[in-house]
Amino acid sequence: MQIYLPIAELSVSLFFLVGIGGAVGFLSGLFGVGGGFLLTPLLIFSGVPTSVAVASVTGQVVAASTSGALSYYRRGGVDLHLAMYLVIAGILGAFGGVAAFDLLRNAGQLDFVISAGFLVLLGSVGILMLQESVRALLKQRQGVVVRERLPNQHNWIHGLPMRVRFKKSRLYISVLPVLAIGLFIGFVGALLGVGGGFIMVPALVYLLRVPGNVVIGTSLAQVVAMMAATTILHAVQSQSVDILLAFCLMVGGVAGAQFGAAAGKHLRGEQLRGLLALLVLAIAIRFGLGLVLIPEDVFSMSVVGGAR
Amino acid sequence: MIRLFVLVIAALLLVAIPARAERLISALSNDKIEITSSFDGERLTFYGSIAPDAGSEQKYVVGPYHIAVVILGPTQDRVAREKTNVLGMWLNTDQVTFKGFPSYFHVLSSGRLREITDVTTLTTNFILPESHVLVPNAAGWWQTMVFGRELIRLMTEERLFGVQENGVNFLSDTFYSAQLTLPSNAPPGPYIAQTYLIKNGAIIARKSEGFAVRKIGFERFLAQSATQYPLFYGLACVALALATGWLGGVLFRR
Repeated sequence: MQIYLPIAELSVSLFFLVGIGGAVGFLSGLFGVGGGFLLTPLLIFSGVPTSVAVASVTGQVVAASTSGALSYYRRGGVDLHLAMYLVIAGILGAFGGVAAFDLLRNAGQLDFVISAGFLVLLGSVGILMLQESVRALLKQRQGVVVRERLPNQHNWIHGLPMRVRFKKSRLYISVLPVLAIGLFIGFVGALLGVGGGFIMVPALVYLLRVPGNVVIGTSLAQVVAMMAATTILHAVQSQSVDILLAFCLMVGGVAGAQFGAAAGKHLRGEQLRGLLALLVLAIAIRFGLGLVLIPEDVFSMSVVGGAR
Repeated sequence: MIRLFVLVIAALLLVAIPARAERLISALSNDKIEITSSFDGERLTFYGSIAPDAGSEQKYVVGPYHIAVVILGPTQDRVAREKTNVLGMWLNTDQVTFKGFPSYFHVLSSGRLREITDVTTLTTNFILPESHVLVPNAAGWWQTMVFGRELIRLMTEERLFGVQENGVNFLSDTFYSAQLTLPSNAPPGPYIAQTYLIKNGAIIARKSEGFAVRKIGFERFLAQSATQYPLFYGLACVALALATGWLGGVLFRR
């Protein structure tokens, strides 16, 4: 059954959209990530214009993260104070990201920057995660008790000025790294159409030493608020949010995420992280090859402005 | 003096030979193509017949005739880009913008275009796809030619440009019909269908019809809100996303 997307101005199979939404939702439920970094590339590879794909996926990420954020909130797993700082910086970053998105689109470099951005981000995050999970798995096999890093271990970031107390995270740290993380993720998220959970979680854990019980909830709450703002910014600035496309993806994604979360209970944490790392690396390699290999067609075209 | 003499002779000849002009009567199957949620392209039929011109004493017309139907979509500014290898990576490095380029262009004809008339007639009347890139461009002649050819190729791959040299069928000596399948990615807007009647290589009559491709109902509402009330549209998207996420969580909690 074909469905006509009014903003993308093409018709796509409805089952395909709900299907990829569901598949990505399953993975995101399994690994506890937003799934934007999977959906945006999939849509681009299946012919949806890059700008529409990026802008619409931001809407989908909001839906995918809402139910998770709510359930964490009920369990008290969200540090609202910390999330607020991240969101404010994130929205500023998103303004920059959306402006850069528009500039790059008009200059014809959007596709390149998105590919390069995914390559660098997913590549580095994937390698870090793979290293970490392999080390954990090996140690476990050798029978060594894995000692989690304690939240009160300090690093250079904890010596910065302008300290604020975050009660729920039991942290007394400078706001500067918090704002920097928010700003960076806001910018990248708006530019690449990803929630940034896969950058946010490691940044909170390894840089700020946020305790494990509030990391995911806070990250999810931040993603919901920031992606909601980004969706509105994209709708106003580039007018390329396709609500029908976003809705089809949402329906699949929300349903898939529940099954993913159920399946995740049967796998161990290190295995899950190892699998996610492999998945992230595979996408990074796909983008990398696209940049380096001789393109099938060196010529491409696009419309400047709207149809008249 | 000689010039005047020639003119008089010509005028006499015109009077002496009975006017043999043809008239083209044409129509198309639908003047509105409506894009609904299940829009998957649409088939259009162009048909018509050739008759003696009004006021002439001719009772019938004598062929052979050829028909070319040119379907032209709304114009856009389109840019063609070329990737080159920079430090091992493929980047868009060169581009040419074509202003007022048709977003849709198809030619249906009853025979091979270069056999039914000459290239000059084809290009000056914009019957060939290539004629759209021959217009002056700030990028210079060479760049325009190179990028224009590639742009036409890309448009053809997207099924937005095309030439069907067997697209027009004559059902009798004077009655023709032509079918066009408009693809689902045909851009909405006003379209023009220009029909040319060609005899012995010359265009002897032409007629144009318009039709509109437009979104209707819910699709139209969505597309209009996205451009006219972008803030509300964005807010609605977010509200929808929050509601879907919340509902999903509630439905599957059990």
